Amino acid sequence: MRDKEKPSDCYRDPVVKYLDPRAQSRRDFLQGSGTAVVAGAAVSAVGLRGARAQEANPVARSTVTLSVNGTSHTVEVEDRWTLAELLRDQLNLTGTKIGCNRSECGACTVLMNGQPVYSCSQLAVWADGAEVQTVEGLAQNGRLSPLQQAFVDNNGPQCGFCTPGQLMSGTALLNSNPNPTVDEIKAAMVGNLCRCSNYNAIVEAVVAASEQGGVA
Amino acid sequence: MSQATRRGLDPLSIVGNDTARIDAVERVTGQARYTRDWKLPGMLYGKVLRSPHPHARIVRIDTSAAEALPGVQAVITYENARVVWGAGSVNGGRQYNDATKEATLHRRYIFNNPVRFVGDSVAAVAATDRHIAEQALSLIRVDYEELPFVLEPEEALADGAPQIWPEGNLAPDFRGNIEPMVSRRGDVESGFADADQVFEQRYDTGFIHNAQMEPRCSLASWEGDKLTLYTPSQGISNCRHDTARDLGLEDHQVRVITQYMGGGFGNKNQNQDADLVAATLSRRAGAPVMLEFSRREDWLGVHGRWPTVQNYRVGVKEDGTVTAVEMRAYSGMGPYRKNSGGISGLECYACPNTMRVISPVYTNRTTSGNFRAPSNPHGYFGIQSHMDEIAYQLDMDPVEFTLKNMRRPTEDEEFTSYSLDQCIETGAEQFNWSARRRVTPGSDEGPIKRGAGFSFMMFRAGLGTSSAIVRVDASQRYTLYVGVTDIGPGAKTTMGMIAAEALAVPLSQVEVVWGDTDRCPYSVGESGSRTTIMTGYAVVQAVADLKQKIADNGMPTGTDVLVGSATPAPDTDGKTRQCFGAHFVEVEVDTRIGTTRILKYTTVHESGRIINPTTARDQIRGATIQGIGQALHENLLYDQRNGQPLTPGYYRARHLTHLDVPDIEVTFIEVDDGYGPFGAKTAGESGIILAPAAVANAIANATGRRMTSLPITRDKILGAMA
Repeated sequence: MRDKEKPSDCYRDPVVKYLDPRAQSRRDFLQGSGTAVVAGAAVSAVGLRGARAQEANPVARSTVTLSVNGTSHTVEVEDRWTLAELLRDQLNLTGTKIGCNRSECGACTVLMNGQPVYSCSQLAVWADGAEVQTVEGLAQNGRLSPLQQAFVDNNGPQCGFCTPGQLMSGTALLNSNPNPTVDEIKAAMVGNLCRCSNYNAIVEAVVAASEQGGVA
Repeated sequence: MSQATRRGLDPLSIVGNDTARIDAVERVTGQARYTRDWKLPGMLYGKVLRSPHPHARIVRIDTSAAEALPGVQAVITYENARVVWGAGSVNGGRQYNDATKEATLHRRYIFNNPVRFVGDSVAAVAATDRHIAEQALSLIRVDYEELPFVLEPEEALADGAPQIWPEGNLAPDFRGNIEPMVSRRGDVESGFADADQVFEQRYDTGFIHNAQMEPRCSLASWEGDKLTLYTPSQGISNCRHDTARDLGLEDHQVRVITQYMGGGFGNKNQNQDADLVAATLSRRAGAPVMLEFSRREDWLGVHGRWPTVQNYRVGVKEDGTVTAVEMRAYSGMGPYRKNSGGISGLECYACPNTMRVISPVYTNRTTSGNFRAPSNPHGYFGIQSHMDEIAYQLDMDPVEFTLKNMRRPTEDEEFTSYSLDQCIETGAEQFNWSARRRVTPGSDEGPIKRGAGFSFMMFRAGLGTSSAIVRVDASQRYTLYVGVTDIGPGAKTTMGMIAAEALAVPLSQVEVVWGDTDRCPYSVGESGSRTTIMTGYAVVQAVADLKQKIADNGMPTGTDVLVGSATPAPDTDGKTRQCFGAHFVEVEVDTRIGTTRILKYTTVHESGRIINPTTARDQIRGATIQGIGQALHENLLYDQRNGQPLTPGYYRARHLTHLDVPDIEVTFIEVDDGYGPFGAKTAGESGIILAPAAVANAIANATGRRMTSLPITRDKILGAMA
């Protein structure tokens, strides 16, 4: 989760930036400024290697079995797929959103074996054998969970894009701590950004849900 | 803590009552479908290759290896896809239209050569999956000839600066004349002559990326000559017209669908290059194409609030009367004039002698464009910081100084309603201003210092027209067709509430159809805080039309329906229509490490009658928090040596998190201004305008140091205290 205690200004140091594994996604590094820095003659060498690799090495695939929202799935995945891609593209569970694809924003938060994780930064193969819960799994028999209902009643979503992630982090919190303080809520959900900055309403919704008896 | 305080009006039957969003269940269950959630049969994935250089000429581009990669279906570059992106660069930064398309001197294409900023688009590919598309990008060979670059507006205007366009680096106005934007009132020189003292100061502000949670994306699909775009748009009608114009189509050949979108704050107005790139790729590949931007691409390839330098001269008399205000300023536009580069705030003062000179300047930074209240928060920071400083220099309370100098109704200027004084006085009382303010700034003993700041706002209600259609069937179900999209404020719900109130039926009896140009009439778009007052007014008038038809014909029976519609041109009888507000904030600054903590934040707003208090409250709270982020954290820094952006992304821009935000107290002073739907005025953008000035003034009050540069980061506070 987002570590707010780290002195943020260190990320502005250009040296630290490149050492910080979170500073660039692997894909951006490969395709964007990573290659960009050596654009020109060097790129063609990289490119040719890439082309040969494609011919010689078809994409590695694995079979994973996982439970999603209580339903077991056995799926052949490319080893490079993230859990978010598996959920969204293969299982059509598009409630999980991709906001940054690099562990910055929390829109893709799901529960993996009960713990909130960024599904953009979990490989699908790592989910083999796991129990995953997504936003689609919160309502039971058509009945919203108390936290979902509290989001409805307290205007938890504005644009709604961060909402699934906020709900999953909030659910994990209430599962482990049914009566959190406001400070505990903020600390538990610090990894879920909301650019509409609807933070006040989101915290109020979690408080309301806890007063209604939590997630159950 | 949670409910907004309201003063002035009683709720009507529906309007004015806290109402849950009509689509709230979809939003909390994952059923709300955003653009990237669509999947069409045979859909390909698109990706864009971007320039690694701040300024370079493409000497050669070789896409053969990419085209040979199995799974790649189309590769387009500036050589084979010369599509004008009209809204990407407009003379004067005005609304893109047929006239400005012809007049625009510095035209932008979906791919440009030379490339003019790190992140400028170079090529795009469509492939059977996104990983193949990414791999294909790495196979495109581009030979660049690097050109000299310039990052800072003032340097860009200096002799010998690298020229980004042949006519130089001052961006042309809407007529194509290369001149600064100048506005004058009265005679500033005589105003300065009347002054007892003249205060001068330079302020500067950073680049603020809109940073909406949903990265830019677009899904394009052709059926014959008809294009369907699924795209996150803040204005589907304008997006359709712009896209048709850019692609040489008629409006009816383009359908724009925006069912849900993950925020925009001004960077999803009109059409975007993603729409044109997706449409072009799709046409070449003969299949639907989902174009996805990464977060980094969104940060660098879309736009954010323009950085500014503002030089003020203000003349005052000993009694605190302002006699002259002059601002000479520069706005960094990036290499394309996507929007105005405006800097506002002077208009809030009654001073008869003002002069404002703004130079919108091309630089090799990423493009600047509209962000929530495009011209305001940075301008208010500059002028209201300076006025706050002058008040303290004159031993005056800034609130008293403001009440003396702020713009008020005059014989020549009548307002639809005016409550700025009431906002300020109510806020000062609720906040306990006189107790929290340090009469002598920086007077707290010890390194941890507290202080209070204040700012005030008047903001024009947007212009434009919209249409609405309302239909009733024999079962007395009403269907409202409005061309709005809900970018977050709750427009669908608001439109439904206005219709239900006007029809005198429960909200549950009204179905709202939105976000699809083939189903909905024209709407001006979710920009300029105008959906409620413009489209909402059209809803009221459409219902009146329907009621007349029901009176004439009786309620429909059998399979009949009755339809009412309206395209009103709202008019305020020559009166000025503005919303008003005042913010008061207390901060605690740890001068040893430069941190700022918000202890208390009180807002008072007058936006006419409030349609839905819940969502209006959260417009103010959210906008205020965004403004605090602008005050304290956000910027896009560049390495001056190589023109590389250093702080794209949420981590490095340091957006506020749950842990950073205070409770924002909201009070609405409600009035029926007699013109908006049920007396509503404008709200959505207004909250962000006040926060940077209020926070900066509070820091100055706590530390005794005037902070003249946004964001007020720790290093700047430490520097000021040293």
